[in-house]
This record gives sequence, structure tokens and C-alpha cells, in this order.
Amino acid sequence: MIINARNLVKRYGDLVALDHLSFSVKEGEIFGLLGPNGSGKTTAINCILSLLKYDNGEVEIFGETMTPDAYHIKRNIGIVMQNVAVYNELTVYENIDYFCGLYVRDKNLKKRLVDEAVEFVGLNEFTRFYPKKLSGGLLRRLNIACGFAHRPKLIIMDEPTVAIDPQSRNRILEGILELNREGATIIYTSHYMEEVEKICSRIMILDKGKAIATGTKDELKAMITLGEKITVESYGVTEEQLKRMRSLPNIVSVDYRDQVLEVKSGKGKNNLETVLDFIKKEGIQFGKIYCELPTLNDVFLELTGKELRD
Amino acid sequence: MFAHVFKYRFKCLLRDRWSVFWTLVFPLLLATFFYMAFSNIDKSEIFEPINIAVVDDEQYRNDQAFREALSQASAGDDRLFDLTVASEAEADRLLDENLIDGYILVRSPMKLVVRNSGLKQSIIKSFIDNYVQTVSAVKAILKEDPAAQEGLIRDLANRVKYVREVSATSAEPDNILLYFYSLIAMSCLYGSLMGSREVTDIQADISPVASRVNAAPVHKLKLFICNISAAFVIHFSEMLVLLAYLMFVLRIDFGPRTGFVVLTTFLGSAAGLSFGAFVSALGKKSEGIKIAVIIGVTMLCSFLSGMMYQDMKYIIAQKVPVLSFLNPVNLLTDAFYSLYYYDSLSRYAFNAAALLALTLIFCSSVYLIIRRREYASL
Repeated sequence: MIINARNLVKRYGDLVALDHLSFSVKEGEIFGLLGPNGSGKTTAINCILSLLKYDNGEVEIFGETMTPDAYHIKRNIGIVMQNVAVYNELTVYENIDYFCGLYVRDKNLKKRLVDEAVEFVGLNEFTRFYPKKLSGGLLRRLNIACGFAHRPKLIIMDEPTVAIDPQSRNRILEGILELNREGATIIYTSHYMEEVEKICSRIMILDKGKAIATGTKDELKAMITLGEKITVESYGVTEEQLKRMRSLPNIVSVDYRDQVLEVKSGKGKNNLETVLDFIKKEGIQFGKIYCELPTLNDVFLELTGKELRD
Repeated sequence: MFAHVFKYRFKCLLRDRWSVFWTLVFPLLLATFFYMAFSNIDKSEIFEPINIAVVDDEQYRNDQAFREALSQASAGDDRLFDLTVASEAEADRLLDENLIDGYILVRSPMKLVVRNSGLKQSIIKSFIDNYVQTVSAVKAILKEDPAAQEGLIRDLANRVKYVREVSATSAEPDNILLYFYSLIAMSCLYGSLMGSREVTDIQADISPVASRVNAAPVHKLKLFICNISAAFVIHFSEMLVLLAYLMFVLRIDFGPRTGFVVLTTFLGSAAGLSFGAFVSALGKKSEGIKIAVIIGVTMLCSFLSGMMYQDMKYIIAQKVPVLSFLNPVNLLTDAFYSLYYYDSLSRYAFNAAALLALTLIFCSSVYLIIRRREYASL
């Protein structure tokens, strides 16, 4: 195990930010911490890094207890903060060199690593730029480069794609996958379920400081009753028809709003066929039809009764 | 590691235009402003002879003693009067046109005609009163003892001063210096802006960049020492530039003890940095609020040490003496003052020791606050 966190409790007065949170991260994983804002993701990260004092629990990293003085552990960790954490008075290159130099003392090795980091995040043309001159996306890339330039075994990324354009986001996500392929274990926190679904090999869903589910995305989706979500553009559906549709086999719920029929079915085969047969038989006029598998948002919705975006 | 952190900290601080403005450019501008303002004060303190007239009539022509007295007072570089001998009508015209401050009519008693009352008119009247008293005294003595005439004339010619002015030190009194002392002291305390930033950039609960630094495998206090060393080198260098500007460009004379002046600035720079670090370490407020507090406290300390109103320094020393010892700006100005005016170094040593003690208190407090390695909240 790269990380083993047990029974973490963190309170801010009456507010319980982490409620007996336990999880472990295996070597080579991209472990996602998914949860809405305020669910305890960043608090969990700060506790793992021994930046934040917690009320109970323990954290082991690389098999050793993590403490603020565990410099030999810290040497193998890279951190990408949620807020951009760079010096505005240093250029792009100087910032990466400075933070890399806090981990690596060999000058030649440091230079090679910094050059590689610049190349990796695609900031070659901006090495002499000051952070204030960079766009939001480039700034985030600099923030990431400062976090992994020393090539740590474990990289912790706390919402690294907040408030950036889709192009930069894709580039960052590709970069994370690349770092993982090169051997880094990654903890990735986000409230964007699409990102987590795309890159994480295992996911822990957090809500109110509690782990409500942990597993691969397929394992998480298997935890809920929802199997498929069928959306049909349809016209003039009556209450009677809706009632009959709800009684079809394996149908969980039926909702009709603004000429859009949304049918949720349980796990199983031929759900779409069953719905289409019913529509034809009832003579309901219809347009486009979509069929979606459940998302992590559906998982979150079913487990907590609220949307991830709430 | 030290060289790496020091190098980048040095670059960071030097490129922080805002900080360089307050710690270097602003003091230089203020010094220039003070210099221009106080040069005019010097000029205004030079005594200009008073323009007077005496009415040229028979009484005047007959009063030889008064004519001689006026003639002596109107001769030489340090003369009291620029004298015009004119008719009464002409004297009236000169007075109306403000070309003279008053004119004298030799009568019994003497008559002084003025349009306004003020310092110059008072000087003319004093001169006349002095003359009248002397004449009266001479007449009285001669009436009693006519034989004393010879000795009396000799005594009048050789006036003896029975009071001798002795300077307590080798330095010439110079009130304006106090303003420049306050300026240097204030600039030293502006180093607190750099000291504040050093703490902000290392406290994970204050800035994101500090969180990243705290996650790195570097001992926090070692990092702080590297950073504050870079800040000290920059700030002390800025202070040396200010001193050089004052001494060699503006020609401000700080006396012969230049080495001690530099040493005092060194102590002041250390006090300023440690004060800023202390204020910043005290609470979790935003950087803007901390800077506002630092600038406010610095200006207040400067005010209480007499930068804006010179007598304030003495008022505080009399009414609230404890405040004088707790005010680093006052300790600095007093140290400079002692160096300039006193031959003995005892008062200087006291101020320097008090400043050092304050610096140590600030540093110890900062150590106690920032040594924690985990935070209750971020």
C-alpha cells in the first residue's frame, strides 16, 4: 500500500469535516476522491500530508507513519494544490526550479528534471514568462509542473482543473495519465465526475466527511439499482399511459416533463426494447431516443439522495 | 540548500516592486522632500537687517551720541539696521510703502513711529530703550562723580560678558537632524513589510504557496532563516543606499561616528524585519490587513518619535516614558541623536541594547508561533 489512512476524524468546532474516514491507495493507482464541494476532499488531503492536525486516526505513507517531520516520506510526494501556489516574482522556469530544488540537491539532475517538467506540461515557450502573464490554463499547468518536477512516487492533486478551459483540462488529464504510466501513484480529488470517471482506476465517493462508497467505477455503478436511463422525445403522453409504463417489468421510474419521457430501468437486458415496444403499441408519437448507462452522479444520487453538483 | 533558497528569495524580494518602493524609493523621496523643505527653514533663520529711518532734524544732528550708536548698529556684516536718514515726510512715505519697518524721531523722550507691531518693531524699540537707559545711567554717574568720566567711557567701550556659552559636546545643535533621524528610523521599520511577507510565505494557513513549501522535505525554521537572511541583506543594503544618499548627495552631517550610524541602521533593519514577522505571525488575517497594520503602526511610532511634530518626542518622554522605550522608531532616533550630540556612548548603548532586546523579543515570539508544524485549519 502506498497510503493507508485509518479512522481519520477532523472537527472544526461542531462541524465534523472528516467522520472516521478510512481508505487505502495501492501502488500504481489513480485513486479518485469524488464529492461535492465541502465534502471533505481537501481536508482529507491536508490530513494525509500532515499539514492539518486531525482529532483522531492515523496515516501511513509508504508503510511508515506520516508526521510533519517525516522528510524522507515527503521527499517522494508531490503536491498540486487547489489554489495556484507559485511565486509571482519568479518566472515559469524559476518557479519549477525553486520547488524542484527543495527536493533534489544534485544540480545536474535538477536541471534535467526541470527541463523535462517544462516539456511535459508544454510550457517551453513560456519559461521566461511571469505567472501573471499566463492564461488560467497555462498557470494551472505551471502549478502542476511545480508539484511533480522532482518525479515523486506519489502525486496528490487537489482539483487541479478548477476554472480552466476544456482544452487545457484535456491536456492536464492526459498528462496525469502519462505520469501514471511512468509509474507515479496519483490521488486525484475533484467534484467533476466526468474527470474522475475518465482517469481514475479506483474511486472513493465522499459526502459530509464520510466515505459512502469505494471501488472501481463499474463496482460503484453495480452498487445501485439503476441499470439504464432511457430518454425519449415524445408527444401527448397521458397519465394513464405513464401508469401502464411504470408497471412494465424491470422499470424503476417513469417521468414525463416538457415532452421528454425519462425512463429508468433496473439492471438487465432488453430494457430499451421493452420501452420501445410499449411506445409503439400505445401509438405514442416520438422523436429522438437516447440510452445512457448510469453515471457516478447517479450513484451519488441514489446513495445520498442529492446530486453531486448540489 | 541554503544557497538555493537564498538565491530565489533574493530574486523574489528584489522583484517585488511594491516592497522595494516602500523600503527604498519612498524613503529616498521623503528624504529629498525633507531636504527641500528644511533648506528653506535654514534660509528663513538667517537674520536680515531691519530697514529703519531716522528723521534728519536739528535734534538728531545735535545728539552726537545717538548718531554714533545708530551708525555702529548699522555697520558691518552682522549689522542690526539698514539705516536711511530722511526728512519726516520722506520717512512717512517709506513707512507707508513698507520700505522701512519704522522710523525714529529724536525727541525727549525718543519717539518710534511704526505701522505694525512685530518682531522687527520690537527689536527697534529694544535698541532705543537700551540707548536711553545707558544715557540715563551715564548722566546719573557723572552727576554723582564727574571724575569717573574717563573710566566710564573706557567701560562703555569694553563691555564685559559675565556669562560664557559652553557647548556640552563637540557637535553643533541642529534641530533638522531629528527629522532625518526619524526618517531613517521609519525606513528601518518599513523592513517589517519584508518580515511580514517572510512569515506569510511560510505559514500554510495563510497562503497556498506556504502550503506547498510546508509539504516539501525542508525544515520550516531553516527555510525561514534562509528567507529572512535574504530579506535582511536586501533591506540593510537599501538602508545603506539611503544613508549614502543622505550623507553624500544631500550632504546631511551625521557627525564623525559613521561606523556607529551604520551599526544603528543594522540594528534598526533587524528590528524592522523582526517586527513585521511578529505582526504577521500573530494572526491569520489577510496579507492586506497585516500590511495596513504594519504601515499604520510604523507611522504612529514615527509620529510619536517626532517625525511630524518634533516636540512629540519630548512630550512622550515626559508624560509616558515607557512608550519611549517600547517604540523602536524612538529608540533608533534617540540612538542617532546620542551619537551626534553626546561624547559619551552610554546613552547610545542603552538605546542600542533596548532595540536589541525588542528584536530578540520579536524573534522569540515569531519562533514560538511558527514552530508549529501542523495547523488547526487551512
